[in-house]
Amino acid sequence: MPAVKPQFTNILLVVLLALTAWHAFWKPDPPNNQLRLVFTAEANGKDLVFDQFLYENPSGPGQFRVQNFRFYISNIQLSGEDGTYFEPDSYHLVRFGSQSNKSSIELNNVLLKSYSSLSFSVGIDEPANSSIEPRGDLDPNSQMAWNWEVGYKFVVFEGSLKMGESIQPLVYHVGFSENRRDLLFTRPIEEDLIGTSEVSFKVDVMKLFDSASVLNLAQLQSVKFDRQDARVLAENYSRMFSIEEN
Amino acid sequence: MADQRWIAAVAAAVTIGGGAFFTVRALPPDPTPVAGFSAPFVFGRFSVPQDNPLTEEAFALGRRLFYDPVLSGSNDRSCATCHIQRLAFTDGLPKAAGLDAEDLDFSSMSLVNLLWGQERFFWDGRALGLEQQALLPIQNPREMAQDLEGLVSELNGSRQYRRMFRQAYGDVSSENIARALATFMRMLISADSKYDRFLRGEAKLSEQEELGRKLFMAHPDTKASLRGGNCIDCHSQFLTSGFRDGLDGFSNNGLDRDADLPAGLMAVTGNPAHKGFFKVPTLRNIAVTAPYMHDGRLRTLEDVMDHYNDGVVVSDTLSPLILEADNAASPPGSFVGLRLTDNEKAAIIAFLRTLTDETFLSDDRFSNPFEGEK
Repeated sequence: MPAVKPQFTNILLVVLLALTAWHAFWKPDPPNNQLRLVFTAEANGKDLVFDQFLYENPSGPGQFRVQNFRFYISNIQLSGEDGTYFEPDSYHLVRFGSQSNKSSIELNNVLLKSYSSLSFSVGIDEPANSSIEPRGDLDPNSQMAWNWEVGYKFVVFEGSLKMGESIQPLVYHVGFSENRRDLLFTRPIEEDLIGTSEVSFKVDVMKLFDSASVLNLAQLQSVKFDRQDARVLAENYSRMFSIEEN
Repeated sequence: MADQRWIAAVAAAVTIGGGAFFTVRALPPDPTPVAGFSAPFVFGRFSVPQDNPLTEEAFALGRRLFYDPVLSGSNDRSCATCHIQRLAFTDGLPKAAGLDAEDLDFSSMSLVNLLWGQERFFWDGRALGLEQQALLPIQNPREMAQDLEGLVSELNGSRQYRRMFRQAYGDVSSENIARALATFMRMLISADSKYDRFLRGEAKLSEQEELGRKLFMAHPDTKASLRGGNCIDCHSQFLTSGFRDGLDGFSNNGLDRDADLPAGLMAVTGNPAHKGFFKVPTLRNIAVTAPYMHDGRLRTLEDVMDHYNDGVVVSDTLSPLILEADNAASPPGSFVGLRLTDNEKAAIIAFLRTLTDETFLSDDRFSNPFEGEK
């Protein structure tokens, strides 16, 4: 029997090694699905309109206009039959303006096939709120930063209130780690996450002033550092969001 | 025969040499990335356009162009005519001087830390990036009045410029002029003021400066007994410039009543809600960039403090944050202004003076390269 050539043995060995390595490291790709969260700003059941005195003071005189409305959404989680997905570095600025009353967040690598519940926080967790490290949309040099000793504004509303000829400023800047609100939304059925899917939320700006507490904007024209007032608004903004069923 | 061989050898050498010369010239340039480039952590993220990376060659070319009067139509003014290093690249005038002996509409803006903050340029935000910005004053008939094609051929006439363009980018072209100027401007980084050293833990602020810093960083809230100068509502805490996001870096800060309000950002966006909005400038080196505001109407920092304290003029698009900020409790609508004490105003000015960066103002890398050649 002729001896096997040494080169031949080498090649065989390399192929075997490669096969072993491939076998050891190869795993089926986990599902890699996209979910887009679409936020639509509304008031009185219609698209929110900026810069016009269209909205009634919920509990007092005058009409108000919206000039700035934005907030942080963080720590988005999805849970389904095959587990829970936590978005890494999950800090998103959701902002609306006169050009668009929609704002969306894309989750690009959801490692789930389906989900039945979705949760996020309005505001920012304490470790991120007390840091100046830029993560996600957190930027200590942005409008949302108070200063590095205080942290971030979670929800910002600016506008004005018109009472007769008089135009008064409205400034609601709500922050402080204690005012983060965690929201959980459950779907009636397990929702597929194959490819790209979308989930829509309504954000009703009127609820900021008219839900858990009903505010008279003429009496409370600004909320910034007063802890009690900030907590009242936090209770209200936790009620601003609703998920739209398909 | 021997002569013929000799001639053939010379011809071959010339052909090979010449071929090699042209091949080398035609090779894409291989510029050197700017070595040891670093920026303060607190300035945050920045981005450089992919088609215009920061390189030593582009910087050297941009610096030369910035200081070269050849950029103007009559070869008598350069970018540095209105952007003087000692004045943090402003000119000390209320409004820049136009070629027609009339003032331009706006004051020359300081050029500093342009990698961060608002990405639109000019007071009214008409340029969407530095490459776009760089070519506008060159072509403006009231500023440098230069035709770009003419400029390219003028620069092509200079052996040194041909070499510098080749090393940095390739051809002499208007795109590459813009890229080089943008690179020079991006490298104008000021990060060694007393405030920077304070942030790095290397310097201590005086009691007055520290009071000023606290007031700078606070929106007043009488209900929470917090006094504030309200500066941070428009000027970010570390950069002290306007905000980067969207159009957040533009605001109406109460200089004119509705009847006299200039278009500002509205001229660019067409949105009436932007009427009278101007770019929030950086406050870096603010003590050397007088006079102040888009039209240079305020002469001193004291005048600026007085404006925000009790000189704010109400108009429809005035920032609600300015309209609302007041250190004294009063019935809504009865007063517009900060109502700080004289001590507090002086403290804020003392803090603003900590933003002066002598290293930056005298940095040789940013100075006129022609002066070294004389």
